[in-house]
Parts: sequence; C-alpha cells; structure tokens
Amino acid sequence: MPETTENQSPITSDGGSTGDRPIAEERTSRWSGVRRHLGFRNISAVYIFAVIFIVFAIRIPDTFLATSTWRTLLDNQVITGLTALALIIPLAAGVFNLAIGIEVGAGSMFVAWLLVDHGMSIPVAILVGALSGALIGALVAWLIVKIRIDSFIATLGVSSLLAACITGISGGEQILGVPSRYADFGVGNVHGITYSFLILVATSVIVWYFLERTPSGRRVYATGGNIEAARLAGVNTTAVIFGTLIACGVLASAAGMLLTARLGNADPTIGPGYLVPAFTAAFLGSTQFKGGRFNVWGTILSVYVLAVGVKGLQLSGAPVWIPDAFNGASLLVAVGMAKYQGPGGDYFSIRRIFRMDRPATAAVTDQTSA
Amino acid sequence: MPVLLEARNITKTFPGVKALDDVSLSVRAGEIVALVGHNGSGKSTLVKVLAGVYQQDSGNVTIAGDAARKHGEGLHFIHQDLGLVPQLSTIENLDLSRTLGMHAVLPSSRRAERVHARRLIARFNATFDVEARLAELTPAECTIVAIARALDGWTSSENVLVLDEPTAALQGEEVGKLFDAVRSVAAEGAGVVIISHRLDEVVEIADRVVVLRDGRVVGEHLRGEFDQASLVQLIVGEAGDDVREEIHSRAPGEVRLAVRSLADQRLAGVDLEVRSGEVVGVTGLLGSGMERLAGAIFGASRPLSGSVQVDGVPVEPGTPARSILAGMGYVPSDRRRYGAVISMTAAENLTLPRLAPLRTATGHIDLRAETREAHRWMDHVGVRPARSAERVFSLFSGGNQQKIVIAKWLRNQPRVLLLEEPTQGVDVAAQAAIHDLIARIAADGAAVLVSSTDTKELITLCDRVVVLHEGRITASLSGAELTEAALVRATIDTPRPQQENTEMEHPGARHA
Repeated sequence: MPETTENQSPITSDGGSTGDRPIAEERTSRWSGVRRHLGFRNISAVYIFAVIFIVFAIRIPDTFLATSTWRTLLDNQVITGLTALALIIPLAAGVFNLAIGIEVGAGSMFVAWLLVDHGMSIPVAILVGALSGALIGALVAWLIVKIRIDSFIATLGVSSLLAACITGISGGEQILGVPSRYADFGVGNVHGITYSFLILVATSVIVWYFLERTPSGRRVYATGGNIEAARLAGVNTTAVIFGTLIACGVLASAAGMLLTARLGNADPTIGPGYLVPAFTAAFLGSTQFKGGRFNVWGTILSVYVLAVGVKGLQLSGAPVWIPDAFNGASLLVAVGMAKYQGPGGDYFSIRRIFRMDRPATAAVTDQTSA
Repeated sequence: MPVLLEARNITKTFPGVKALDDVSLSVRAGEIVALVGHNGSGKSTLVKVLAGVYQQDSGNVTIAGDAARKHGEGLHFIHQDLGLVPQLSTIENLDLSRTLGMHAVLPSSRRAERVHARRLIARFNATFDVEARLAELTPAECTIVAIARALDGWTSSENVLVLDEPTAALQGEEVGKLFDAVRSVAAEGAGVVIISHRLDEVVEIADRVVVLRDGRVVGEHLRGEFDQASLVQLIVGEAGDDVREEIHSRAPGEVRLAVRSLADQRLAGVDLEVRSGEVVGVTGLLGSGMERLAGAIFGASRPLSGSVQVDGVPVEPGTPARSILAGMGYVPSDRRRYGAVISMTAAENLTLPRLAPLRTATGHIDLRAETREAHRWMDHVGVRPARSAERVFSLFSGGNQQKIVIAKWLRNQPRVLLLEEPTQGVDVAAQAAIHDLIARIAADGAAVLVSSTDTKELITLCDRVVVLHEGRITASLSGAELTEAALVRATIDTPRPQQENTEMEHPGARHA
C-alpha cells in the first residue's frame, strides 16, 4: 500500500534549491540566502524600527533625535531586557513561565528586605537573593516535571504564592532606605553608559553563547522542539527543564535586585508590569533571525523597537494608555506573524506551545514515574 | 434482502502500484461481511474509496441502490481509534454527534438522555454505567459506544457499518461482547463490514468473507464454505512460496543484543538474541506487541520486568540516554513525532545524541565541524539534495528524513540498531537505498532488529524473523523456512491461546 504522506514536502520557498540541479542550486542559493537573511520575514523588526525612526524623526526631530533621549532609552529598558532574556531560556525548552514578572518583583523586594530589615552586607544579600531565585525556579520545575502540572498552571500558581510572599515581607508597603552604596550602583556609569546597560549587554552575550553555541543550549532547543524526540535522542529532558527554570529564576531575581538599586527602594507592586513586555519581546524576537526559535538578539532588538515606538508616541503627546496598548497589540501581531510566516508548516516553537499539549509534562514523567 | 452497498469493478492505481484491480463488493441488509487480506492486499484502499477519501480510477459505488446519493451517506465508519472523548461519559459522547439547534443552549433533560443512552446500549446486550467516563470502561464497551453513536443518528434502516480492525485492542471475552453487539446491529437490518486480521474471529462472525490479495478479490465464500485453514491458503496464495536466494552469506558473530523475558503493557515476556552481523525481523498483527518491542528494548518506556544486555553488559531499563551509551540506536516508526525534532536542521538532529566530540576547548560547539560532519554522514546515506545540512528537517521528503534519522545513529557506530517500519512513507527508490543501508550496517558488525508489518521487506532484509502474538514470540523462521508465504501464514494463523493458568510467568503483564 503506497503511503500518501510521501511527496508532501516539495522544495518550498526556502533555499530555492531543487536537488536535481546541484550546480544551478549553488548559484541561486547564495542569492536567495542573502534575500532570506535580509527579507522582511527574517528581520521585520529592523524594518519596523526604520519606519518608526523615520516617522518620529520627521514629526518631532527636536526631542526624538536628542542624545539624551536615546541614552535614557537604552538605560530604561535594561530591566525589561533582562526579564525577557530570563524568559526565553525556559521558553526555548518549551516551558511557559507566567511567574516571570512576579519573580522580578520578588527579587527586588527580597534584596531590599535583606539589606534594610536584616542589615545584611551587600554581597551576602545578593548571594541570598540569587539563591532564592534558583529555589523558585527549582520549585516550578519540580511542579512541572515531578508533579506533572502543566507549565501554565504551575507558574500561575507559583506567581500567586510569590505575590503573597511579597506582601508578607513588606506588609504591602515600599521598603525605603536601601544602602546608598547599593543604590549608587544603579545609577553609576562609565563614559555615560550606565552599569545597568553594561550588565544587559554582558548577560545577552552569556545567554546567547549558552543557548546557541553550547551543547547544553542545543539540548534546550531540542527539548523545546519535541520533548519526546529529544528524550529518545538521549537528552536528559528533566535536567533541561530544571536547568532552564533555575537559570530563569536566578536571572529574574538579578533583574529585580538591579531594579531595587536603580530605584533606591523596592515597590511591592512593580513586578507584574514586566510580564507582558517580556513576553511581547520574546515572541516578537522569536520571529527575527531564527525563523521561529526564541533567540537573544531578536529579543533584545524587539525590546528596543517596542521602546522606541512607545517613546516616540509619548514624545508626540500620546495619551498615557498608549504603552500598554502598543505592547499588547505588538504581542498579538508578533504571534500572528509567526503563525503565518515561513515555509513548510507547524514546526514553530510558538505554534507548538500554543497547541497546549502539555509540552513539558507529558514525556518527561514517562521516565521518572512507573 | 436488499443490497445496501454495492461497489462494482473498482480500480485504483497509485504511482507504480495497482492497489485495487477490478474489485467488487456488495453488502446486503442484515449481513455481516468480513474483508480479509494481508498488509498491502488493498483492504484499506478499498475502505478509503468507500469513504470517499480516495477517488477510484474506474468503477462505481452505489449505496442503498441509489447512485445519486451523496458519497459516504448511509455509510458509517468506525476506526480503531474510535473518535470518542475519553473524559466524557457515554451520554455526553452520544450527545456530541447530535444536531441540537436551539437546544444547544437550553438545559437538557438529563433523565431523558440517560434513559435514551441506556436503551441504546441495551440494544447491544450491554449493561454498563452510561454516566461513567469512557476512560473507566473497557475497550469493547468503548467500541460499543462508538457503534451506538453511529447508529443513534440513523433515521432509515438502510445503513452500512464499517468496522476497521475492531478487535485489535480487545482480549478474551471482550471480543464476544463486541460480537454480540455487531450481531444485533445486523439483526436490525443494517449491513456490516468487518475488516480483520484475526481469522478465528472472522470464522466466528462472518456470514460471508471476501479475500483480497494484491488488489484483487481472490475468494468470496458464504458461511460454512470456509474455515481458518482455507482462509490462510487464500490470503497467502500459491506464489511467494519459492525459496529466496541466499543473500545473507555472512556468518553471524557473537551475541550482541540479549533480551530476557521483557514485559510491559503489551509484551508478555519476550526472549530474543541478535548476533553481530545478523538482521532479525519482528512481525505480528496489530496489537500483538510487535509495534512496541523495539521501543521497549531501547527503553522508550519503562518495562514492567525483564532485562536487556548489550555485549553481555546489562542496560538500565527505561532510559534512552543509557541505551545510547551502551551502543544502541532506535529509529521509531513515527518519524515526525519521535524520530526527530522536525523544527531543527538536519545537522542539529544528526549530532544531537553525541555532541561531545564537536566541543572545542572553550566548551562551545564547533559549528563548522558540525556542518562538515553532517554533510559527510548525509552523503554516506545518500540524502538529496546534497550539502543541505543547514536545512530544516521538516522540509526533507520522507525518504530523506528517514535517511537522516538512520545517519544520526550510524554516526554513533551502533552495536545494536533497532528500526521500526524503516520504509514506511518512503518512495520506492529510497526504500531500496534504506534496505541497502541496513544490510551494510549489519555487515559492519552491528546487531540489527527490524520491526515491520511489510512481509516482503522482512524477507528481503532479514536472516531470521520472529512472529509475535499476544505479546509472546510464537514462531521463528530462518533459512529455507523463511518464505513470504510461511511468514504470512505464521502471522495470521495463530489461534488465540486458551486461558493459560499454568504458564503465567508474568502476572499482571497481560492485564495491565
């Protein structure tokens, strides 16, 4: 019985190669390769950035093109950028972390609480803060892998627990009086470039190197791509999920600690505000460069494209609700674009995640239970 | 009795294969017709033509004497997966197929529904809780729900029910329960077509049997005119009995893979040894455990008991990572779900099981070396187009995908290679290439296990073929005994063993 599944994937728009004509292919593939790399599909955010830039440069050149505007812009997005970086690590492994915003908030509150209420020294407080982030990540991973709770639900539950912790230690009040040495770091700079921004750059490089260059990163992407196939190829998917969530927890808590340094205090309501911008950047970023894969440079680019858009709108006197509307609309457009983008079909990580087929729980537990 | 379904002179050709050649089939009211034949005989093609999935090249299908009736109307297909929602109760599942109109938003009369469902189930001599979730029912009861749902919407009696391998998941008395239900459907004046591999059951239930072989009807007999032996003869045919040429001249080496009383949900204690340089086939009917054996050996799921050894060293059960370290490779039948991460490139898939050799001193992957190595292996197995290591896996054709999956394991120089349906969904040229590749792997000293339902494939590839039935090996054919006819016979002609109380080495395995 001939199976009709054959021939369902003739050579598509990608690559332009035909197989039968290897010589012609060599020539065309270089051109189409360039086209593909610079095409709207691959780097749409760059084009969107260009459009936004030109529009505002013409409409409000005085404020929009000022150096100070750009310097603040780079600095202001550091926390969002770090949060988005923290988020894409588990996302690359197919795990949704809805607690990411509150993890940042918890990191911020916790370090202030240790410094102010407990008088801990700065290095110890930072260490304990990072450790608490790792613990939160491990708890989430344990719920997903061992208790087999879907990552949506597990992180939703944990985020509510963390919100309770935050209120518990702060009594719902801001924690003021962070040591000045700690707060100074948040506003310090070298040659006009803030320490915060340098931290973002360094973190980006590290996360990029880890995800895209190391064997462990490859295993993370494989787990996110198809957890069962990855397991059958010898990937320890349990370790991958634990590792990515712990890394995410540490990074989110670091972002929170930096936030406290920048503000000079800790606010119990501040964390959740980072959730949507981080997801928007991660998803818009996944449509850039790597055709559907969550990646660092696409994410960072997206953070700044969105920020420039919001900034331009604010400078031209748009109402206060604009940032939220802009972020929300961008998230929907980014995911919508990813769904219609690309050759060949349903292999996008976004698409797989939205199928809601319990990516993380289904198979991992297979090897741990029974 | 009026003829309800009539397919006349159906011919259907696929590129290179005549799947159906002048096939006719008629079903009368109240009649149970069994459609039998081995894999590749054209059964599923015929069903798909009846269902309107395929358009026949010539011939026509008439339902209830009215050619103008819409295709598929009055025909009800029940496939193996039943299409029910296990989380819902019988009542709710029956409800799903109803057209509700305004009632969709009005509160339903639970009592009336319950009574209705009970009455429907009672028609099949079944009495189970219609409010229990289907997940809590037995497979036979679920099949009855599926049949009841199909029947629920019947307004006229001129209907035909087509059951595709309804008993594959059933054991023992469950089969009897289902057959009672099927008989009551027929008794109400419907026509029934049963497709089955289990000949003892066919003999038990069919009023008439139609045997297909190589796309042609080779026999059509009424009840009493056939028995299991004559059916086997018809299915197997005269051809294919000739002794195959001895292509495997190499002498097998020492035992590389040793499986001892391996048992899981479907396997009831399998003992098997594969030697270096040997290709051993595994076959059996659907539900016999043949579809699970390779995965169980590899540790895709955790077995209930038993052990696996590679070169005399035990492998920790249920952990693919350990199996790979021990030198095993596993090519699953469902490539896209289990065989590869289809969103990653060919190179990334190829190197995933063993990334360590590609690591540089600073700990990152040498991407150039990776591409080079991927190209080398892809050339080795003949992936087309060449130099395509950077291409996303899902963009390759089925045959090339399979070659990449095989290359992934070849790169590890496997001691044991386990393959499931290695040429499923693969074109003819790629099929030959893959067969050649498997022979070469064995010649290089690996122990190779091939699970397949394709008898011809097993004959060409294997030194020895074992046949599974109810989770046990019931036959082992090699050398001159290994002919296509003998293999088909061993596969289909295995009566259900009686309840063996004495020989239960693995309690729980059969009922798990």
